Amino acid sequence: MENLYIPATNETPEINFRFSEHQLHVSGESYPENAMAFYAPIRASLHNYLDRTQAQGAVEAHFSLRYFNSSSTKLIRSLIALMHDSAQAGKRIVTHWYHDPDDDMMSEFGNDLKDEFRMLDIRVVALETA
Amino acid sequence: MDQHLLATNDEAAPVRIIHHTEGLLLPCDSVTPASPNKDVFAIFEAQPDMIGLPVVENGQPIGLINRNIFMQSMARPFHREVYLNKSCIAFMDKQPLIVDKKTSIQDLSFKVLEGGQKAMNDGFIIADDDRYLGVGTAQDMLRAIANLQADKNRLVMESIDYASVIQQSLSRPSREAMRKTLADHFLIWEPRDIVSGDFYHFQDYEDGFLVVLFDCTGHGVPGAFMTLIMSAFLQSALNTVSHDDPSAIIGAVNRLVKTAMGNIDHQHAGSADEEEGADDGMDAAFCWVDRRNRTLTYAGAHLPLLLLGPDDQEVRIVEGDRQGVGYAATPMDQVWQNHEVALPEGTCVYFFTDGLVDQLGGAKRIAFGKRRTREIILRHRRQTMPEQRAALLAALKEYQGTEPRKDDVSAIAFRL
Repeated sequence: MENLYIPATNETPEINFRFSEHQLHVSGESYPENAMAFYAPIRASLHNYLDRTQAQGAVEAHFSLRYFNSSSTKLIRSLIALMHDSAQAGKRIVTHWYHDPDDDMMSEFGNDLKDEFRMLDIRVVALETA
Repeated sequence: MDQHLLATNDEAAPVRIIHHTEGLLLPCDSVTPASPNKDVFAIFEAQPDMIGLPVVENGQPIGLINRNIFMQSMARPFHREVYLNKSCIAFMDKQPLIVDKKTSIQDLSFKVLEGGQKAMNDGFIIADDDRYLGVGTAQDMLRAIANLQADKNRLVMESIDYASVIQQSLSRPSREAMRKTLADHFLIWEPRDIVSGDFYHFQDYEDGFLVVLFDCTGHGVPGAFMTLIMSAFLQSALNTVSHDDPSAIIGAVNRLVKTAMGNIDHQHAGSADEEEGADDGMDAAFCWVDRRNRTLTYAGAHLPLLLLGPDDQEVRIVEGDRQGVGYAATPMDQVWQNHEVALPEGTCVYFFTDGLVDQLGGAKRIAFGKRRTREIILRHRRQTMPEQRAALLAALKEYQGTEPRKDDVSAIAFRL
């Protein structure tokens, strides 16, 4: 299936889903007024991919987010939930959650995700902001 | 004509708000295809400001003669002699922009843009059902757009300003009760966009008091709508459950929101292209303080409780439960846990919405964070609550720097 690339804007993150390489990147900031409108097609596309993928190795997801508002929070969580369901069904998925070493909010959020989605391999990675 | 007069904010002179192309109409001489170029020449010479001269046949506009093109052509050797007595259509633009007088200014502006540089320079002909009326200029059109825009902004801002008056009067009883009940306290309520998605409720009872701080999804007008809805549900929940049981109150509000707003779970129905319905709710801290036995009972949705007892070395955080209130994914019978803590004399209690801890800033453009918040509280623990408020806001301002405010920022704190 076709890769999904959406460039970053001031209010929305860059989406770089290279399905052909099984590499999924979400990076930047997320505070659109209507988060559902932004994330619904992304979620549909991810859902579709996870349903069909015949990846030999692991699917790798990378989240490097600096800021997201509360409505984006729910939708980012729902992307993770899709991967969790897929992992539970036997797919190999590794999810990286990057945060600056000094960013206690992002690190806490990553660890909360780990707690909540126990069947998904979530790695919370401290990475100095470039 | 649908024009009316309005005063602008900054000057006394009324500005004419024009909604349709008709309002831009300038009466203008015209010529016919039978008119020779010498007539055109005479008109341009007599009216040095005229940019384009319309050509009208049997009452219908058929073209526009541009002054510069015409004059340049006439200046060429022998052209004057050859063309002066011939029909003016030789130098006429046969496809000028012709706009009906009823066209809205917005539609007109798109047409002018489509027309490119020509319409910007030459202007356009205004017609009434194909009958020639006159001309309009791009400059007048731009002025009309600017005035319309300013007028719309003014209406929107007046409307939001008044919404803010309503929102603030709804919270006045809470502010007054706080002042009466709490000798040393502070309140921060800083909307990002005049009205806020954050709100609070304070009520004093014989045996203690109830403090609620909540952060609805969104900010600005939609966020403020949600705060009014949540306030109403909170009032009605307080009629049915006991005021000293935060867990019961938060559960009752959840049921009321979900029932009233139809926040049923359509996200997990298995379909990826679910309808785009409203799925709104809130983060919240509900807190009951029993004065007689000096205990605090807290139930929270995301929004944590921060405590600093007189003998504590660190600010303690009691995290709320992870479920938000009222969302589609939150079960109807969700239970938020009550946490009970003792309050030795001199204990400071704080509630913050995430607008504070999530604000971006600093050299790395990362979140303000809980750690920093706790450090500031600890550093100023001996100071009065209003002084602590000033210290927190100053630290936030400095950290934020030139970064825009991302969210509403609110806090309630008190020392008992």
